[in-house]
Amino acid sequence: MSIFNDLKETVTRNIGRVMDAGAQYSDARWYEDDSSEMLVLLDGNLEGNDTTVESGLGVRVLYGGAWGFAATSQTANVDTCFDRAMANAISASMLVKVKLDMGKMEGHTGSYTSPYKIDPIDVSLSDKVDFLKGVDDSLTEDWILRRMISVQIQRMIIHFWSSEDTYTQKKLINTFAHMTVMALDKDKQMQRRSKSLYCETEGTRGWEMLTNPALWSGHADRVKSELKEVLGAPELEYGKRSVILLPGQGHLQVHETIGHPLELDRILGYELSYAGGSFVNLDSFGKLRYGSDKLNASAYGSIKNSPGSFGFDAEGTPERDYLLIDKGILVNCLTSRAMISEANQRAGREIFTESGGASRSTAFYRAPIDRMTNVNILPGDDGTLEDIISTTEDGIVVDNPTSWSIGSNREHFHFGCEIAWEVKNGKITRVLRNPSYQGHTVDFYNNLSAVGDESTWIVEQVENCGKGEPNQVMELGHGVPVLKFDNVVSGERR
Amino acid sequence: MMNDKAKNIITEARDMAQSRGIMASIHYHRENSHLMRIGNNSVSLNTSEELTRIDIEVIQGRRKGTHTHLGEIGSADELFSIILKVSEKAGKSAEMDFEPVLTAIETNVRTETQYDVALDNLNPVVKEQVFSSIFKNTGEDYNYSGSWSSGSTETFSVTTANNNSAWHRLTDQQFMCVLKHPEKLWELASWQTGWKAGDVNAEITINEFNSLLPVYENNDGFKVESGNYKVILGPQALAELVGLTVWTGCAGRTWEMKMGWTADKNIGDKVLHSSVTVLDDPTNEQVFSDPLSDSGMLTKTQTMIDRGKFAGLLYDRNTASKYGKKATPNSGCLAMQPGDGPADFLEAVKDIDRVLYIPAIHYMNMPNMSKGIFTGSSRFSAVLVEKGKIVSPIFSSRITDQFEDIFGNVHAISSETISVNTSNTYDRRAPRAVSVPTWMLVDDVKITDCAKSF
Repeated sequence: MSIFNDLKETVTRNIGRVMDAGAQYSDARWYEDDSSEMLVLLDGNLEGNDTTVESGLGVRVLYGGAWGFAATSQTANVDTCFDRAMANAISASMLVKVKLDMGKMEGHTGSYTSPYKIDPIDVSLSDKVDFLKGVDDSLTEDWILRRMISVQIQRMIIHFWSSEDTYTQKKLINTFAHMTVMALDKDKQMQRRSKSLYCETEGTRGWEMLTNPALWSGHADRVKSELKEVLGAPELEYGKRSVILLPGQGHLQVHETIGHPLELDRILGYELSYAGGSFVNLDSFGKLRYGSDKLNASAYGSIKNSPGSFGFDAEGTPERDYLLIDKGILVNCLTSRAMISEANQRAGREIFTESGGASRSTAFYRAPIDRMTNVNILPGDDGTLEDIISTTEDGIVVDNPTSWSIGSNREHFHFGCEIAWEVKNGKITRVLRNPSYQGHTVDFYNNLSAVGDESTWIVEQVENCGKGEPNQVMELGHGVPVLKFDNVVSGERR
Repeated sequence: MMNDKAKNIITEARDMAQSRGIMASIHYHRENSHLMRIGNNSVSLNTSEELTRIDIEVIQGRRKGTHTHLGEIGSADELFSIILKVSEKAGKSAEMDFEPVLTAIETNVRTETQYDVALDNLNPVVKEQVFSSIFKNTGEDYNYSGSWSSGSTETFSVTTANNNSAWHRLTDQQFMCVLKHPEKLWELASWQTGWKAGDVNAEITINEFNSLLPVYENNDGFKVESGNYKVILGPQALAELVGLTVWTGCAGRTWEMKMGWTADKNIGDKVLHSSVTVLDDPTNEQVFSDPLSDSGMLTKTQTMIDRGKFAGLLYDRNTASKYGKKATPNSGCLAMQPGDGPADFLEAVKDIDRVLYIPAIHYMNMPNMSKGIFTGSSRFSAVLVEKGKIVSPIFSSRITDQFEDIFGNVHAISSETISVNTSNTYDRRAPRAVSVPTWMLVDDVKITDCAKSF
């Protein structure tokens, strides 16, 4: 008997056992393979050459309206793992005010594989190092003080079984990469410019994605020349002006101030003791003017090639493509089954009709929580970047974050960026150093005055979104165009 | 607990590597973790994880490779086969311009001075009872959330540099409870930590909440206009600031790379106020001890900031090799020394017209590491204090300032210290705590923005 068949029999038997003992629902995720590799070149030295292999089972049991979770890396301990999850659920059920419920879902089967041509885990280390050394060479200049290149690749094979007779299997491939160059400016402050590997929406996620020069390595000369401009540039002065976000910055703005506040578990208060809450509440849906008419945001977005595209979530729910914000009005959020059941119950009306397929976990030993999939701003009709600049009287164009700090309910924020280009009377006039901007989320999006067309829209990858206790790091994507906001406080008050 | 079989497997595999001339370190990490999470006055998650990891590092001249295997290893042969794969990986790696250093364990170590079997096996029902008691004794109409992580961490390390081994086991816990008003939306928080089962006590949290509730219930929020203020920083804020200040100013790698706020400073320069002293102190009882540094040295107390002067840099083994310095016996146990102020911060500010008390800074980040500029916002239990009396809660306010100013414009420091648990659980259980004064009063702190809400 194969390991898979053996485990399938044991898991389904145990699911039946806990259901017979009174559980409302149970599921199990077996990570047959969770392999990752991290390579870090620092000033040409391969200082990070790390691999990790994990495999194990995570079990959830819903009993008396409360979750119990347990995990084991030993497939011989499956019975014990279910016992522990059940015991945890029983003890949790002793302190439950609102009983959780999964709602109903028909059992189904399905499979998903990330689009890829060459599995990056299978590429030899020598080939990887040769490629990265080549990229490093292209970044090397006498005046550059630090060069950093990092590549992270992942391969996960995950099986899912539930008490509703659902079975899904997925193979996920992810490839992330960053290049950064740094040098001291005229005031001896370290400045940096960077470029991250981004996605073609119809492309693939394997080694071939990393080695496509258009998506990453081909940007080396531009990154260097822009850093050189920053070194001698004046600092951005404090004041109110228009701020134009390139996707390298816009995706993080969307991540922090649309993605996180629209996670339903945050809205319901389940993240208060760690990540925080949300300024959005259950009355906001269909009413809150989140932004101007130009703001249209979606979840998933049917993007084929993104770390936020995974076929089925950690509850077996198929990924869904739907609007979060429609012409500025909040209409939906990122949801999982138990959370929509509770939200509808609390609101006394059906706000959410079906799960958004956003229940995700970072590893077999972490319980699924509501996460972003792909959270996107849809392209607009304000033309190219050049078109948007041409209609800007006084502003800056900014790219790539150096820091981000967000209010606990995502109601306000502060971002530092790598570079700014000053815009005066429709033209770029000069580069500025140490740019930053801050704002209050709803005011900020209501000042969204221009949204770039499809030519400006790309899918940026995020591999390090943190949330939950125990903490979980998640991979996802953001499709964003160029975005222009007016009357933004930018620069630092002296 | 790690059994003799596991120790024997690791030691045998080390011997096999030694006999083949492989330079390898093997690090065993076992955690028994339990976490109860509270949301909306209910247990929202009750988790148990029992996980074993083996970390292997192999060095070949100027090349290295590392690998982590999560799961049990059945035999020395199985472990050695993984070591061989890592060795092959190291061989295919690229040469560096310095020689990576293999950890050499200075002496045999066996420590469990901060291990409590009762905490290791704490029944989740105890946690449920503590949270229930807090809800009942503070008011069940409020909305409560929180978390309580507890468990044990056990490590066993060997390397082929010698035949020594290091075994270390400790327990730790991190408790947090948030009380939120369901309509007014303000939030109070209480944190507790410790390594023994009895270290977390419902009464402490109940008293903290009940002392602040009258002010919160009877006063509207205060909107802080942008400007410079006297601010009392509480323990959570101080611990995070001390950590960032040291990481960006006193870490050898950061300094050598000219990345941080001390890049143009030299040892002996005055950088902060003369009342500020910060140590790396494994002997401090308020931190979770770590007997060995990453290079295998027995950890010792080191001074990074001595009465405001830049006193020392912390070098890990590879940074030391790269820059031709000696590795330091780092424990990662930060301790800011107390001052001579009263224990009660209200007593310290009784003659001051207006002070903001900010116990914790949410989502701190650094827009400019070279200048030591940080930003973050107030959140839990932040209040306006006038003439030593708490008069109202304050709305979410943003501080954007510099380390040299925050620790340079010190007005007074508490004479008492407290342990702040700074562990995170992104990867494996790794207990960390910082010992800090219970408060620090600072002049001219820059408040750069304020929301109209909490």
